[in-house]
Amino acid sequence: MPGFEWTRFKRSLTPYMFLLPALVFMVVFIYQPIVQSFRYSLYKWSAFSASESWKYVGLDNYTRVIEDDIFYTSIVNNIWYAVISVAVQVCFGLVLAALLESQILPRLYNLVFRTALFLPSVLAVTIVGITWQLVYSPATGLINQLLEYAGLEAFKRTWLGEEGTAIFAIIGVSQWQWTGYIMILFVVAIQAIPHELYEAARIDGANGIQQFFHITVPGVRQTFLVMSTITVIGAFQVFDIVWVMTAGGPNHASETLGNYLYRVGFRNDEMGYASALATVMFLITFVLSFVQLRLGGGIQQQEAH
Amino acid sequence: MLRRYGPKFVVLVVLISLLIGGIGTSAAQGQVTIRFFHKWPEPEHMDYYNWVIEEFEKAYPNIKIEMEAVADEPYKDKIRVVMASGDVPDIFFSWAGEFSWKFARAGRALPLDEYVYGTDWENDLIMSATVPYQWDGKLYGLPMRINAKFMVYNKEHFEKYGLSAPTTWDEFLAVCATLKENKVIPIAFGNEFPWASSHYVGDFNAKLVPGDVIAADYLLQGEADTLFTHPGYVEALARFKLLNDEGYFNEGANALQHSLARASFIAGRAGMFYMELEEFQQVADQMGADAFGFFPFPSGTGGEGDQNLLTGAPDGFMVSAETKHPEEAITFLRFMLSPERGAEYVRMLGIPSAVAGAVNEETALPIVVAGVEAINQASGMALWLDTDIDIRIVEVYLPGMQALLTGSESPESIMAKVHEAAVKIQAELAQEG
Amino acid sequence: MARLQHAGRRAARQPLDRYRARQLFTQLIVLSLFVVLTVIAIYPMIWVVTNSLKSDVDLFEQTWAFPKEPRWQNYERAWQFGIGRYIINSVIVTAASVVGTAIISTMAAYALARYRFRGQTFLLFFILGGLMLAPQVTLIPLFRTLVKLGIYNTYLALILPYIAFGIPFSTFLIRAYVMGLPRELEEAAFIDGAGPWGVFLRVIVPLSRPVIASAMVIEAMRAWNEFMFALTFIESDKLRTLTIGISAFQSTLRAEYTVVMAGLAIAAIPMILVFLIAQGQLIRGLTAGSLKG
Repeated sequence: MPGFEWTRFKRSLTPYMFLLPALVFMVVFIYQPIVQSFRYSLYKWSAFSASESWKYVGLDNYTRVIEDDIFYTSIVNNIWYAVISVAVQVCFGLVLAALLESQILPRLYNLVFRTALFLPSVLAVTIVGITWQLVYSPATGLINQLLEYAGLEAFKRTWLGEEGTAIFAIIGVSQWQWTGYIMILFVVAIQAIPHELYEAARIDGANGIQQFFHITVPGVRQTFLVMSTITVIGAFQVFDIVWVMTAGGPNHASETLGNYLYRVGFRNDEMGYASALATVMFLITFVLSFVQLRLGGGIQQQEAH
Repeated sequence: MLRRYGPKFVVLVVLISLLIGGIGTSAAQGQVTIRFFHKWPEPEHMDYYNWVIEEFEKAYPNIKIEMEAVADEPYKDKIRVVMASGDVPDIFFSWAGEFSWKFARAGRALPLDEYVYGTDWENDLIMSATVPYQWDGKLYGLPMRINAKFMVYNKEHFEKYGLSAPTTWDEFLAVCATLKENKVIPIAFGNEFPWASSHYVGDFNAKLVPGDVIAADYLLQGEADTLFTHPGYVEALARFKLLNDEGYFNEGANALQHSLARASFIAGRAGMFYMELEEFQQVADQMGADAFGFFPFPSGTGGEGDQNLLTGAPDGFMVSAETKHPEEAITFLRFMLSPERGAEYVRMLGIPSAVAGAVNEETALPIVVAGVEAINQASGMALWLDTDIDIRIVEVYLPGMQALLTGSESPESIMAKVHEAAVKIQAELAQEG
Repeated sequence: MARLQHAGRRAARQPLDRYRARQLFTQLIVLSLFVVLTVIAIYPMIWVVTNSLKSDVDLFEQTWAFPKEPRWQNYERAWQFGIGRYIINSVIVTAASVVGTAIISTMAAYALARYRFRGQTFLLFFILGGLMLAPQVTLIPLFRTLVKLGIYNTYLALILPYIAFGIPFSTFLIRAYVMGLPRELEEAAFIDGAGPWGVFLRVIVPLSRPVIASAMVIEAMRAWNEFMFALTFIESDKLRTLTIGISAFQSTLRAEYTVVMAGLAIAAIPMILVFLIAQGQLIRGLTAGSLKG
């Protein structure tokens, strides 16, 4: 019965048809460029040069990465970014969400706080960056004025202008912007936990902290892993807020990998070296998320079910 | 259910196709479009350029000018991105010196000799301002305006504390000390983008290091061992560091923008400010033309360089080598860089045009005229350090200056790094031939 | 559970008013924590708004005070800069990429969740692998690709890459949700003679609306905030999105600080308004998204 064969064949094609657009987009705009990037990293070339004048240099660009002090500064800054972001946005965000959902406060308060804390995340990153530049400004900025007011002159800093504080000042801004956002996602996740569990625990006399560790945390485990993954990967990709606030300065102290890559490529005309940095960034983020998914059993676990 | 969602889908598809279709812009028949890209998006400047374009399109109805502008700091990246895109504007802004030679070297800029030399255009321009746009014996850029850096001072503060314009480095330091004693910030300084410190250091260099040594070092033509090793370079950074360590700059210079520093000078919080001639008008507008005076920065007393140099450079335009319409592009530049439009530039913006005779008592404030006079009397110009040396050296040198201010690097360690970078880049350039 | 029961006995032994007092105390602590956080979250914005109505000199002299007399001309000047245009551009780019991402991701998620086919695991990882790839890595080659496609410096130069980078996460989210849906409805539709597309449009899409909404919200925020591609792939002022427009605006008007602040306020207000108005839907969408899962 040829008709049947044809139908079966067509049916076997169906999933591919559904996947086709996604695959095309990903090949053209993600995978193809990444492969290209690796090829580019083997050449010495600038934005100006025609492709005939590209010079093949083998792995020279990679040896240079290994010897580059600024590269290490960037990596360390990215690590700080990741650690602080997971601690504040994800962990603290979860605690805040749990507090909001524990019904300690009346509903109306909840709504106000949720709205207020979520608000920074709807602002464009440049608006946030410029605003905080003003807040950190040495003489007229909010922070130094507050410190002065509190009698803590000794702690006044040129927050974005000192090598020791610049990156942390920027990381702080990210926490300001995103903690509320992640908190809301946790609120949603907590609401998905069956109420009966909490009621049962309450009848059993469990206090809030016990409920948090025995019901909330296991209940949002999946969300927690997803959020941590996204946050860590985001920390290694960070570019915009750094570029807006310090562009990596002073003296490369707040350089992050993304920022440095952009600078090397589009400011210093060293596209080959920038591509090598890009490949390194690719490896780092890839390995990180792989390890994290592995540890959390994210995809695998879902496969099983 | 399909029926329920059908209409929505259709609307969506229509919207998307409208969006995509709406992107292509149609070009009128028989018309030539010249794309013009510069770094002055400020409304005052745009007013001027819009006026020029309007006048031009009236005079040449078959040529249409399409203008695009981004601000100073982003321009440095944007022009490279645009070059890399292969979609190069016909006329584009470039700083003088190395920044423009890079385009010439890569064959991306059109030589302009035949359009300028031997024509009456030669008489209309301040030809000395074309020098930094010459590379390998050819002219690649035309100056729009001339500019130099002066130390300006608040007359009220100077009068009050019995100070006068210093003429030596020691006198300058004494002025700073007096201001500081009287709780006035001696020098307003905003170094958020480190080009601001490069203007200081460039000036120190020019006056503390002999001219031929500087030329050899900046162009990477000296012996590898000697590049950037003249003691004058270390002294230059040391003097700059001294101003900082003595507390003669405002606090937090590294996080302060140049414009905010200027605002604090205008507000009378600071005694002096190192600024460009092109800013004179703006400061005069806000603080009064009589409220401030200027003097050449006496930065190099005792040094081996030329003490009569000023730091500054012309700003100008280059024509893309890939342009399909060189004649039309030149026609537009010729139109803009003419006595009439030059004088209007000065009148509208208070910034000295590179058109000969455009700055005069009628078009400009006396203090701007005096500034141009000072440029004419100077023995020459030291170009902006950050656009006059290879960008890869700049990337070591300028952040080093920021580190100098925070105390994490010393003059010696910075120059050692600069030397190292210069040697490496010289070798690379030699390899490329 | 043993531990919980133990705690329960302990609680029961406590007198009622002490329990109430403790509850009140907790309430107070939590309340003050949230009040402090709220002030931190909101105050910088208020500070910008109050200062946007001052003159530059007042900004220097009295950052803290309320403006003596509001200088609305700051807003006028900022508006003349074309912030409206930037906002429209952002809306266009965001809307197009959100819709594109949602359609493509839902299709992909459906295939991955409901079909068994050759290469399934590979394709799953192929798509989810995008989560692990930094847009920075693609920046330079992507730039060249867009130039070759002739869409550099057009809306599409942003929309298409945004869609591509939005697919992995949206697919991830929607697939997980679809896998949790009961199969009965689909089976019923199949029995009624619906083909795969019919099932997709009539069953999967309507049932997944909450999670699609969540995915769209997330993608919208990403596209709205995107900076690097917008910085690199757009050259014309006419096409600049808000993030880039504002930073261009700031680097142009650096000298006029209070005008910059006015511009920030103008740029932020529509976003805040949209959020406050649509907040209900937004949070309900997110909530529904996981409650029904």
